[in-house]
Amino acid sequence: MVDLTVRVGPTVLKSPLLLASGTCGFGREVAEYEDLFVIGGICTKGLTLMPRLGNEGCRTAETPSGMLNSVGLQNPGVHAFLRDELPNMRSFGTKIIVNVAGHDTDDYFRMAQILGDPSVPVDVIELNLSCPNVKEGCMTFGASEEGVYQIVKGVREYTDKPVWVKLTPNVTSITETALAAENAGAGAVVLINTLLGMAIDIKSRRPVLQNNTGGLSGPAIKPIALRMIAECDQVLHIPIIGCGGIASAKDVIEFMIAGASAVQIGTMSLLHPGICEKITNDLICYAESESIERLSDLTGTLLRW
Amino acid sequence: MKKEYRIPLLSNVAVGSATHVLTFRSKEIAAAANPGQFVNVSSDLFLKRPFGVLDTDPEAGTFSIGVRRIGAGTGYICDAVPGTFFEVLGPLGNGFVFDQTKRIIAIGGGTGIFPLRFALKRARELGIPSLSLNGFRSKSDIILLSSFEEVADQVRISTDAGDFGTKGNVVNLLSELTKEEMKDAILMTVGPEIMMKNVAKWADGAGLFCQVSLEKRMACGIGACLVCVCKVKAEAEGEPFRHVRCCKEGPVFAASEVIW
Ligand SMILES: Cc1cc2nc3c(=O)[nH]c(=O)nc-3n(C[C@H](O)[C@H](O)[C@H](O)COP(=O)(O)OP(=O)(O)OC[C@H]3O[C@@H](n4cnc5c(N)ncnc54)[C@H](O)[C@@H]3O)c2cc1C
Ligand SMILES: Cc1cc2nc3c(=O)[nH]c(=O)nc-3n(C[C@H](O)[C@H](O)[C@H](O)COP(=O)(O)O)c2cc1C
Ligand code: FES
Repeated sequence: MVDLTVRVGPTVLKSPLLLASGTCGFGREVAEYEDLFVIGGICTKGLTLMPRLGNEGCRTAETPSGMLNSVGLQNPGVHAFLRDELPNMRSFGTKIIVNVAGHDTDDYFRMAQILGDPSVPVDVIELNLSCPNVKEGCMTFGASEEGVYQIVKGVREYTDKPVWVKLTPNVTSITETALAAENAGAGAVVLINTLLGMAIDIKSRRPVLQNNTGGLSGPAIKPIALRMIAECDQVLHIPIIGCGGIASAKDVIEFMIAGASAVQIGTMSLLHPGICEKITNDLICYAESESIERLSDLTGTLLRW
Repeated sequence: MKKEYRIPLLSNVAVGSATHVLTFRSKEIAAAANPGQFVNVSSDLFLKRPFGVLDTDPEAGTFSIGVRRIGAGTGYICDAVPGTFFEVLGPLGNGFVFDQTKRIIAIGGGTGIFPLRFALKRARELGIPSLSLNGFRSKSDIILLSSFEEVADQVRISTDAGDFGTKGNVVNLLSELTKEEMKDAILMTVGPEIMMKNVAKWADGAGLFCQVSLEKRMACGIGACLVCVCKVKAEAEGEPFRHVRCCKEGPVFAASEVIW
């Protein structure tokens, strides 16, 4: 029997597969298509201190092998989440990773204080320093070493729970922001969030998205995610969670070889709810045929030229 | 557990110049679909495309959709030959409400007529008297007329060109209704947004309850991604409005809730 469990620091996951933030809401809808008990965990939609309505107008555009979104962090706010969603999420029997977004540093600290309290049953805090669809906060912090360091360091003061830092690929050097996260006490980095993009309607000559720009996700971004994970694996000492366009067991294996301890599946789970079950079965087949006893042995085994 | 189905296209019939009726085999969807619900159908593009259910045959285990060719995705679907397999999610969303309905007036335009055909069929099964009002550009654009006559007690047509039925649009048809025809009626409307907005305004003036089916660009279709939201009236004090998911809370809404 293949051992699918993986470790991300102190956190033991039943499987390397996690559902990515913003692509599975709070799990209610995917739970109708997928047995969440067998996956490693589920990342909530990005939460903010106060409820947010998100962006107006058209929020999505299709691209070859991917999609743009400009949801703009629509969410019910952290308090409504705790009251209305968390109890139900706990019933899935898998790890709960809360994705946290803020306008300013104080927002992040206050949410870390609320969600990081030992009495609140969430397992991991994932700092979203990478959402490209809001005017303030998020990606503005994730774009610089100082911004990343300041938030992660501050958040660490408020909680003993594992803190994962989800970084933006919209930077010149991903290793610099990743190292800043590690130096500030991050438990892991999550690579990558969406790439900033645009779609244009030639009839109106306007951007399709009313926000003008949006975040690109899906298989189109997979090579970029792999490259960034492999780069960071060479310099980091903390675990890496891979994310970006994963569609199959083969993709999961590629991400693990590049250096990921676990992976998140986003867009492809939106398109094909139930995909984790298929990927899990295929991972088991692969490991059996390759005589791999522990899937986690694959992590960081890239043989560079 | 729900699942994404991989199902074959059984038939593809052109109705009119740019519109096709496609029938698929799926016991599950045929048994579960209600009028106003939709299915999300794959093509050779990245995202699936949503289409209202036109008809079901639970005994045969089949369902149909009507598709107008407007771009690459609908083009692929309209060109598909029987035997082609599609990935389909459905039935999705909330359909029309028939509870305590004494009389139905179904008002359609464009591709909106497809889900209304299913609603009228259901009304007939429930013994609810019905009136169908469909608007087209001109006589040559009229489709599925006999199919509507099969399920509705009365069918009236408007054409912008005025070469068939009442000249003008469906609001002209509405303004021709008698007191008797309007009494206790519930309106169901699907079509271009501007048409539904005008129908909703008319219904409000006439004091009639109206259900509208909204269209937004979608990705998942199941309520997980929030790209398809519609603007509806606030519930709590201090809230300017709410963003609700077209695919999950909708696509059918009470017209009085919608912010156009
Ligand atoms: C709930 C629901 C039910 C529907 N039912 C039907 C149906 O029964 N029959 C039917 O033929 N169609 C129906 N539609 C519309 C159908 O989904 C679209 O026509 C289809 O997705 C277009 O795909 P495409 O690849 O051909 O066009 P694209 O290449 O994606 O688009 C072609 C053009 O149409 C515009 N466009 C496409 N979709 C939308 C949209 N939702 N809002 C505004 N502009 C848009 C694009 O901007 C572009 O200019 C429904 C849509 C929804 C949301
Ligand atoms: C519709 C949508 C909404 C998203 N919302 C969030 C979010 O709230 N917080 C976040 O950290 N990432 C968000 N993401 C990014 C994903 O979690 C993921 O990092 C990205 O899409 C790349 O992975 P994928 O290609 O597997 O989707 C969102 C992505 C999509 C497509
Ligand atoms: S299309 Fe994903 S929530 Fe409606």
